[in-house]
Amino acid sequence: MRPSPRHGRWWAGLLMAAGVLIVATAAFPNTDDETSNMKRRQQGILTGMPFMAHVSAQAYVDDAGRRIYFAKPPARIVSLAPSITEMLFAMEAGDQLVGVTDFCDYPPEALKKPKVGYSNPNMESLVALQPDLVVAPNDFFKPDVIMKFEQLKIPVFILADKNVESIFVHIQTLGRIVGRSPKADAVAMQLREQVAAIKQRVQGIAPVRMLYVLNSHPLITVGPGSFIDQLIGMAGGVNVAAKSVTPYPRLSMEAVLQEDPEVLVFPVGKAEGISESEQQAWRQWSTMTAVKRGRLHQIAADWLNRPGPRIAKGLESLAAILHPDSVTSSQAER
Amino acid sequence: MADFTSSWANSGALLTVHRWVTVIGGLLLASVAVLVLCLQFGATSVDVRTVATAIMHLLRADQGGSATLGTPEIIMVQIRFPRVLMGFFVGASLAAVGVTLQALLRNPLADPYVLGVSSGSALGVSLAILFGIGSTFLLLPVLPFFGFVGGLLALLLIYRLAQSKGRLPIHSLLLAGVILNAILTAFIMFITSIMEPNRSAGLMAWLMGSLTAPGYPALGVFAVYAVLVLAVLMHKAQLLNVLTLGEETARSLGVETEGVKKQLFALTALLTGAIVSVSGMIGFVGMVVPHAVRLLIGSDHRLLLPASALVGGMFLALADTLARTVLAPAEIPVGIVTALTGGPFFLYLLLWRKDRML
Repeated sequence: MRPSPRHGRWWAGLLMAAGVLIVATAAFPNTDDETSNMKRRQQGILTGMPFMAHVSAQAYVDDAGRRIYFAKPPARIVSLAPSITEMLFAMEAGDQLVGVTDFCDYPPEALKKPKVGYSNPNMESLVALQPDLVVAPNDFFKPDVIMKFEQLKIPVFILADKNVESIFVHIQTLGRIVGRSPKADAVAMQLREQVAAIKQRVQGIAPVRMLYVLNSHPLITVGPGSFIDQLIGMAGGVNVAAKSVTPYPRLSMEAVLQEDPEVLVFPVGKAEGISESEQQAWRQWSTMTAVKRGRLHQIAADWLNRPGPRIAKGLESLAAILHPDSVTSSQAER
Repeated sequence: MADFTSSWANSGALLTVHRWVTVIGGLLLASVAVLVLCLQFGATSVDVRTVATAIMHLLRADQGGSATLGTPEIIMVQIRFPRVLMGFFVGASLAAVGVTLQALLRNPLADPYVLGVSSGSALGVSLAILFGIGSTFLLLPVLPFFGFVGGLLALLLIYRLAQSKGRLPIHSLLLAGVILNAILTAFIMFITSIMEPNRSAGLMAWLMGSLTAPGYPALGVFAVYAVLVLAVLMHKAQLLNVLTLGEETARSLGVETEGVKKQLFALTALLTGAIVSVSGMIGFVGMVVPHAVRLLIGSDHRLLLPASALVGGMFLALADTLARTVLAPAEIPVGIVTALTGGPFFLYLLLWRKDRML
């Protein structure tokens, strides 16, 4: 059983690898952890007591049920969703924003902010920005990313969009957190008024059957449980995919023809419209009411997809598409 | 089991004209029955008989009038019928390509997507979607065209990479294909990662494999193309038999193996490119159907190839019918259904006749 020279080398390699590993684990995370663990514990004591949370105006519970404490309004915020970026700019907290996603393109000032990726943000560039608050959307998000933030002691505030009202609540909550409460409240108030006005306008008018075409081949649309499905109802429409059991179904073309939409709505990006050929492909269904009446409309995807302050604009334009006659008078006021 | 092994229809039996005609004839009849069955079900409660009588009435009433069709007739004629037929042709092509590649590469794991041609097609379509290139041109959808061109380019590339000194060694063909597959898939992943999530969802849905109701021009082009390639493959079935004995043996039997291999590679790649460009990547049909059919009727490719094609067609048409109806009015990707139904059935066959597997 004498080890051959080959074996010897193998063992030496293994030992060396183990040594490197031990040195590495000893060198890197520990020093960091000691100090920050203490901070962490203190936080827990403060925020773990309900009466303290009530006394202090700086403790907030996010939509994931996590309690977050702020000693002072954060000055270096990273937004992980275009809608959140838009909210922060709307409440004039743009200067506090130090990082945004690759898709944050509104308002134009957002384009100048450093980028940190999107659903899988680049942790290094994010940490390098030294944020004291990260605001993240609930969807597109992985638990391990949140865990990483917690390890790094970067406070993360998670927003989950359940309905249109929740957007306005989020604007107000964010306003309080970042110290822009008066402006945020005013923005939320104005948006609520706009939405109420649209709702009132379409009330009593017969709802219009519509199909929201997210993708033509294969056909993907929005169903109950999705955000846009709610907007359709508020704008005086009936979603023809209402019977679907999933929020973003691949819808059967058979079902579309049977439900016979009166309006087709195509969400489009900034540059492209509905391509002529895509319209052509839809026009082959010549018995469909929407095609017969030529009611193929496009709508700015960003206004509807982003649960942010431009949602009222989106709702306005959707209502205008569905009920063109009812809008003209009130549109002029604005 | 004993009575089964003695049965003439079974894998042990010699291939006779009578047996060929009976098996293929039976499968053809079964295919027609399956197609009619598939037409019966859908997201809406439209059934074949009412539609047929309605169309008969219309035809009797006035001779040239298809403009007066009602919604149920349009659903049947414009959506369900072309889709079921497309499913059948795609399934048949997948299974036939699978049979050919398993024999050519002498590898039981081979399926139409193994050689990278499919990724070339998928990349072509991904690029077209990324740059927002429109969906129809001269009545034909444009995306399949991009898919087909992508597949052709991948074919040429693999061919160049794999051949050495005028020969096409199987192992280098397989290696070049698998590696190119990985590289092209990485490109596709890159494209989906830089697209906005709303748009990449459409691309992902396409990549997962889906059958949509094609227009008749598109269906016609694909069907004619597939049938032509299948006919040529059928013509080469006897050579496939010889190739499975090993290249040395084949050469000693007087088969010019290099030429045959090149032709078979080109044919399967041409068909795979077309399949992927119309239906994305529908897994499982191309790998499992050939094995299942081989277990049942034996490995003589003169019978195995057409039988697999028919069974593959039926299988995909049935799987797609499930995909269309289970969550109606929503649809689920057909690849999920093929794996969930085909997988357990194949495992059952495997347990039943493990000894005959290879």
